[in-house]
Amino acid sequence: MTLNQTELIWLDEHHEVTLQELIALSGLSQAELVLLVENGALVPNNANTSDLRLDAWQFSSQCLVSIRTLSRLKHDFELEPNALSLTLVFLERIRTLEFQLHHLEHTKT
Amino acid sequence: MKFKDYYKILGVAQTATIDEIKKAYRKLAHQYHPDVSKDPAGEERFKEIGEAYATLKDKEKRAAYDALGRHPSGEEFRPPPNWAKNQYSDSSASPEYTFDDIDLADLFASFSSGKHQSHQDHIRPIPGQDYELATQISLEDAHHGITLDLNFTVPEYDTQSQLKQVPHNFKARIPKGVTHGQKMLLRGKGGNGFHGAPDGNLYLNINFIPHRLFRVTDHDLFIDLPLAPWEAALGATVKVPTLEGAVNLKVPAGARSGQKLRIGKRGMPKQNQEHGDLFAVIQIVIPTDLSHQERELFKELADTSTFNPRVHFN
Repeated sequence: MTLNQTELIWLDEHHEVTLQELIALSGLSQAELVLLVENGALVPNNANTSDLRLDAWQFSSQCLVSIRTLSRLKHDFELEPNALSLTLVFLERIRTLEFQLHHLEHTKT
Repeated sequence: MKFKDYYKILGVAQTATIDEIKKAYRKLAHQYHPDVSKDPAGEERFKEIGEAYATLKDKEKRAAYDALGRHPSGEEFRPPPNWAKNQYSDSSASPEYTFDDIDLADLFASFSSGKHQSHQDHIRPIPGQDYELATQISLEDAHHGITLDLNFTVPEYDTQSQLKQVPHNFKARIPKGVTHGQKMLLRGKGGNGFHGAPDGNLYLNINFIPHRLFRVTDHDLFIDLPLAPWEAALGATVKVPTLEGAVNLKVPAGARSGQKLRIGKRGMPKQNQEHGDLFAVIQIVIPTDLSHQERELFKELADTSTFNPRVHFN
């Protein structure tokens, strides 16, 4: 049996993915992802540049973690498209709060 | 393969309508969905619930499931003769289809995999399944980087169009700089895609094994630093372990419990070659078994000292 060494892709704030990669990896459609951006729940890293073409959008690869959770919730709870943005905002808020809680627990005196 | 009573799992009668099945599923999903529930047993329970719902909500799958007959939950059983021939439109599914090495979930998942669907579905590209794998590594391995041997099995079709549990084995290099809870993606290492569609991906969740000395937050490390009362009062130079060997730390006189002393760049490495810091958290420890001489010295200190730690009570 051959053991191939495989390259890992970091899912964090330092690495980026395009909209097409996000579609391929997240399980959400382009229309759903564009709606998330339009509603402000998902912000491309280059949102402030003048290039507004969809294929120019770059996202932090970290967002893939929340978006895959969102995709699971959409599938398992049969969420309506309009509920997706709100759910993503709450997922991100929970992630931030959990990180802060973890930090406090490990640094408390 | 072991029989699973999907009706019992959802708590509905065999005659339940699709609305009743949906209602029961939603109630249970709110209770056990792993992204909603923090119950550690919830994930396993939700797998069963999702599997039962995916089968019973689909008219054809439900009919195929009902055609298996009723068996006690957990009982080993084999589908009736010709069951595969009747359920699969694929002519390659012979009556001798063995069902070895797969479970009920794999069997019904295969209905939507495109392998045994209608002719149109037969040519439709279907991306491979994504999988998630959690792995634990030591703090030392995270500090230095490590090559992991990843081994897991996933259901896949063999050349006879039979579902089998297929082992996947490969190596993945975890570089320096990972953090606890880091997610990583291995492209194309999930299930096989069909008809020209890409293979699925593997998502790796990396967690650190709790360390006996260090706690980790992001790239910073924390270590409890026990000090004797006289070391805290007078100051001292003490040896503190780090992941790169012990260092001497100068503790200033008058150190307080809970005070943190920062040892720069002795934390976990970052992706940009920098390092987090190590924080020594002072804990003043009182000896519990005093010798006669120590007791006398403490008494002398008590008689001499004007220090009142409760002055703020007044």
